[in-house]
Amino acid sequence: MRQAVSWLVAALLAAAGWGQEFKLGAKVSDFTLKDVSGTPVAFEKLKGKVTVIGFIATKCPISNDYNERMKALYQDYQGRGVRFVFINANGTEPASEVAGHAQQNGFPFPVYKDDGNVVADRFGAEYTPEVYALDQAGAIRYHGAIDDSRVAARIKAQHLRQALEAMLAGQGVETAQTRAFGCTIKRVKKAS
Amino acid sequence: MTRRRWLALAGALRGPARLTPVDEAGYRKLLEAERGQVLLVDFWATWCQPCRVELPLLVKLEAKYRGRGLKLITISCDEPEQEADAARFLAQCQVKGPAYIKRAASDDRFIASVDAKWSGALPALFFYDRQGRKARSFLGETEVAAVEAALGKLW
Repeated sequence: MRQAVSWLVAALLAAAGWGQEFKLGAKVSDFTLKDVSGTPVAFEKLKGKVTVIGFIATKCPISNDYNERMKALYQDYQGRGVRFVFINANGTEPASEVAGHAQQNGFPFPVYKDDGNVVADRFGAEYTPEVYALDQAGAIRYHGAIDDSRVAARIKAQHLRQALEAMLAGQGVETAQTRAFGCTIKRVKKAS
Repeated sequence: MTRRRWLALAGALRGPARLTPVDEAGYRKLLEAERGQVLLVDFWATWCQPCRVELPLLVKLEAKYRGRGLKLITISCDEPEQEADAARFLAQCQVKGPAYIKRAASDDRFIASVDAKWSGALPALFFYDRQGRKARSFLGETEVAAVEAALGKLW
């Protein structure tokens, strides 16, 4: 009975969009995104040896400050077996805008839409940019900021790069969680 | 042009004043120094669109209740490169109260010292009562009507 009540509470929280399902260290279950043409894409089809999930935006100045750094990350790690899944979960930024923004900025990677911020809710993502690095089994090994400064010249810690290097070397990630910073994800209002 | 618009334009043209840097210790000191008033501390940034919408409304709120002891304190979370823009926006909004800019050795420690439940998301508003105790926090976008309602419980 107690188990049934717990399940019901969890289901209600998830339905209301309040529950963070994917926690650091835990394996994420499959989820579905949409490409900018509206075609559903399963995460299972996108993941690799190491997978970076990144929540980004078109209008957020902080996220935009990371455009070049995201491209550099892609160029440096794609060939080493890291897959990048960039996601726009902002209810205020439609797929057409996401496609235009990606094109204008010369992104070499696709950006997917998370309609209704369902995936952002499951990850508990709050900001753009905010990243998660998953291992081959799909467990979250790093969560937080890409690095420690919006201003590239003041970066002291390359959090995501350090995590990727450790994961690719089969080692533990020393700093597994940092505080992401940026604009808040503009969530859709859900009926309570 | 209305008088309000003239004042805003004059404020913007006057150019940026410098903002006072504040860290964890400085924040504690400023709260201590302002004890006896009801403080509304607004953490904001020039890049934060909801903050830019909210700030002029908070200025109006402060003007309405200044006589009863309300004081608005702004703390910009901008980078040094945006300090001039931040000062210009404050002048444009005719912010009367003290204006600070967050300069902490560790953002994590600063944020945790202000409110353990605060993730650092902007805008963030904190009410302090006349005894300097934190009375209410508003994290994220907030209707100013809700802020005013909370203020009503502090007198």
